Amino acid sequence: MTEEILNSNWKLRKGLITAARQMTETEKLFEIKLEGRELDHEPGQFVQVEIYGVGEAPISVCSSPTRRGSFELTVRAAGRLTAHMHSLGKGDWVGIRGPFGKPFPVKLMTGNDLLFVAGGLGIAPLRSLINYVIDNRREFGKVDILLGCKTPANMLFGEEVAGWQKRLDVNFSCTIDRTDPDWKGNVGLITSLIPGVHINPEKTFGVVVGPPIMYKFVIAELLKKEIPERQIILSLERHMKCGMGKCGHCQIDHPKNYYCCKDGPTFTYEEVKAAKRF
Amino acid sequence: MNYHILKKSELDWFIKKLSRKMKVCAPVAKGHGSFAFKEVKSAGEIALSYIPTILPPKKYFMPPREKLLDFDLSGGKPSDTAYLEAVKTALFGVHTCDLAGIQCLNMVFAERPRDYNYLLRKESIFIIGLECNAYCDGYASCALVGNHNPNGGYDLFFTDLGDRFILHVGTQKGEELAEGLGLARAVPADMVALAGVRETKKAVFRNEIGVGLRNLPGILAGSVDSEVWKDLGERCVSCGNCTNVCPTCYCFDMADTINLDMKTGSRNRSWDSCQFESFAAVAGGENFRAERAERQRHRFYRKFKYPLNKFYRSFCTGCGRCTRTCMAKISLKDTLKALAAG
Amino acid sequence: MKTEKEPAKASAKPKVAFFDFACCEGCQLQVANIGEALLDVLGAIDVVEFREVMSEKYDKAYDIAIIEGSITDFHAEERLKAIRARSKVLIAYGACAAIGGVNGMKNSFDLDEIRASVYGSDYHLFDSTPTRPVHQVVKVDYTVNGCPIYPPELIEVLKHALRGLPYTVPDKPVCSECKLNENVCMYERGVSCLGPWTKAGCNSWCVNNGNICYGCRGEVKNPAKAAASDIISKYNLKPELIKGKFDMYNKCKEGDNNGDHK
Repeated sequence: MTEEILNSNWKLRKGLITAARQMTETEKLFEIKLEGRELDHEPGQFVQVEIYGVGEAPISVCSSPTRRGSFELTVRAAGRLTAHMHSLGKGDWVGIRGPFGKPFPVKLMTGNDLLFVAGGLGIAPLRSLINYVIDNRREFGKVDILLGCKTPANMLFGEEVAGWQKRLDVNFSCTIDRTDPDWKGNVGLITSLIPGVHINPEKTFGVVVGPPIMYKFVIAELLKKEIPERQIILSLERHMKCGMGKCGHCQIDHPKNYYCCKDGPTFTYEEVKAAKRF
Repeated sequence: MNYHILKKSELDWFIKKLSRKMKVCAPVAKGHGSFAFKEVKSAGEIALSYIPTILPPKKYFMPPREKLLDFDLSGGKPSDTAYLEAVKTALFGVHTCDLAGIQCLNMVFAERPRDYNYLLRKESIFIIGLECNAYCDGYASCALVGNHNPNGGYDLFFTDLGDRFILHVGTQKGEELAEGLGLARAVPADMVALAGVRETKKAVFRNEIGVGLRNLPGILAGSVDSEVWKDLGERCVSCGNCTNVCPTCYCFDMADTINLDMKTGSRNRSWDSCQFESFAAVAGGENFRAERAERQRHRFYRKFKYPLNKFYRSFCTGCGRCTRTCMAKISLKDTLKALAAG
Repeated sequence: MKTEKEPAKASAKPKVAFFDFACCEGCQLQVANIGEALLDVLGAIDVVEFREVMSEKYDKAYDIAIIEGSITDFHAEERLKAIRARSKVLIAYGACAAIGGVNGMKNSFDLDEIRASVYGSDYHLFDSTPTRPVHQVVKVDYTVNGCPIYPPELIEVLKHALRGLPYTVPDKPVCSECKLNENVCMYERGVSCLGPWTKAGCNSWCVNNGNICYGCRGEVKNPAKAAASDIISKYNLKPELIKGKFDMYNKCKEGDNNGDHK
């Protein structure tokens, strides 16, 4: 058998789960250390996680590449593979392919103000970028983080989020969808937080990650603030099976024939505004 | 490149010689006007005059089910080995539409990141084309996409000249085979006969829909919300026949199988279809092409719009298989005509 | 990959029991006929009840109960509920158990009429109910469709059950597999076939062997309703043919719609 096949793109790298923690009823955080060299990902990329004998699922990396040694995945028990993954813990092995996909355009963001808008599980891929920015804080202008979730119990990375909240170099706001007796903060949809943010549109990148339904409304708010279309960055959700722009599952109904796994998952609004759906 | 001559009476000798070197697969009649590529040992088994086979020759390049990895979980840490099965094979009698189909797949799988399972298997296949001197049936639309004449993609290419075949050599490998078998070189009279065949074809093969290929991307771009898709959606069975039989449909799924020892198993890929309801669904419950109409539109876009921009060629080869196989009478030609009519 | 767990010891093999209700026991026969793979199956499980090949009685809890046949009287309903109560995992296998199967044809007639024609004038002495598939009586964890079951699928389901993984029955038509087997379409042969509406997963077993698809695996979730008229007109067939064929195995589907039995 030739070298090409033995090292083909289907070959899996072995990842050891070095820590695992249930975050909410449906989300679990895994810390994975790869055998051999590092994952070497960039914020916004994803990996294919293989549970041998069960199957593979695409999961975005939620840790920043600035934090070396291992990487982290937030896994929501949504399908067959992810539900099974919740039964895994420290000491278990998984197969890893990747990293795949186009990362957030961090180089282009240098010297600009950043407005992060995360809804629900969208905080996971965005956390990779937020921590990257925090670790390279000098390179960027003003940073605003807007976070929305259904209930306080659904909030992910609570302690870390509290840390962001305390930082002087980051502005942070959070809202929950419905009132809750234990909640003293904002109540309402995430769009309600945007008008209150001071924005210098020419020098701002708006990075939005959340469920498909959220995009339309958040983008409308950012456009109202006159942020240029190519400075509004989204990360789209599709079922990325092969990660190589071939299997067809993640193709977006868009004139440009985008494969979410290869041309995305991060896109500028300018790139994907012609898509039938986000 | 050279031209050689093979008398029709020598075809059986040719096939037998070839099958001593490698597995030979060719179109074989299955009854009820259906054909399939199958292994043959003699010319008598081959249907020289055939309409496109049920499955196109893509089944030899990307098998319907293919093992990618073997894994073993018996140790603490899992281990896996990549797998490739590529049997040296000659495909005999491949029509020009299917040659075009293979060319399309070659482009897709050679694009980075490359798919070595496909690319290495491709290297183990020797391709012998066969010219269509007339239409196979009324479903074909090969002239629309310019595939009624050969455009490369073969090692050897056969054209029927009545009592003999003229063989065009497409590759060095093809030349070595023809030379090795001591096939006679074509003489000027043969070349005249070949030119005659091509000249006759000009009058026979005409753009089947009366709309130019280069206009189709624009027509499709303007018909995103066309009623035509709604009509297709109401009729479609979502059986995936159209994509399974398409020479350029390559979408796939991947899944693991574990053996009964519960310790060893394999990772496999199999053909998938964008026409299945779950194809574009994500784990959270969202389905990005839940409607049959959207899925049919997607299929047409993937033949006549996306690839024309990306690969500068149509991914419809004009073979007519999708229309021929559709139980619900969804016709590719009629659909394009309806879209062009607005 | 769980690495801390020891592999299951021979004595700790899951206890599996096969039960039959109203059926021909043909699916049990299929299991007995699996051949070489049967030895591998038996290496992974401990069969404690299997009427076709053994007669011992076991009185503890079952790890997996495999149910064949449909539920056609009160007695069967009680027995099935008792089995469910003793079983960690329940698999309905074969068309009778999975979708009601041919027993469902009973539901096309008035129950008393049917009872009278079978048992005579004293029919009221004989317990009988409309036919129900297993899932209309108790909770079913896994389903193996088919009349008879397709043995490779049973093995696949068993492996899923042993590992506690959900098994997804393909929800695409039989045609999708039939085409890959390069069968000449039955409609091309001038015969109507239920492939376009029936769930795949059998590798188009019947058509591979020259028969049509009778719909024994049940209808796909979202069948093409309007397509039937196109198909009927393309191949010049009578609509009643399709409907009649469909009712042969799928009559009990009506019981899924009223929600009473779920």
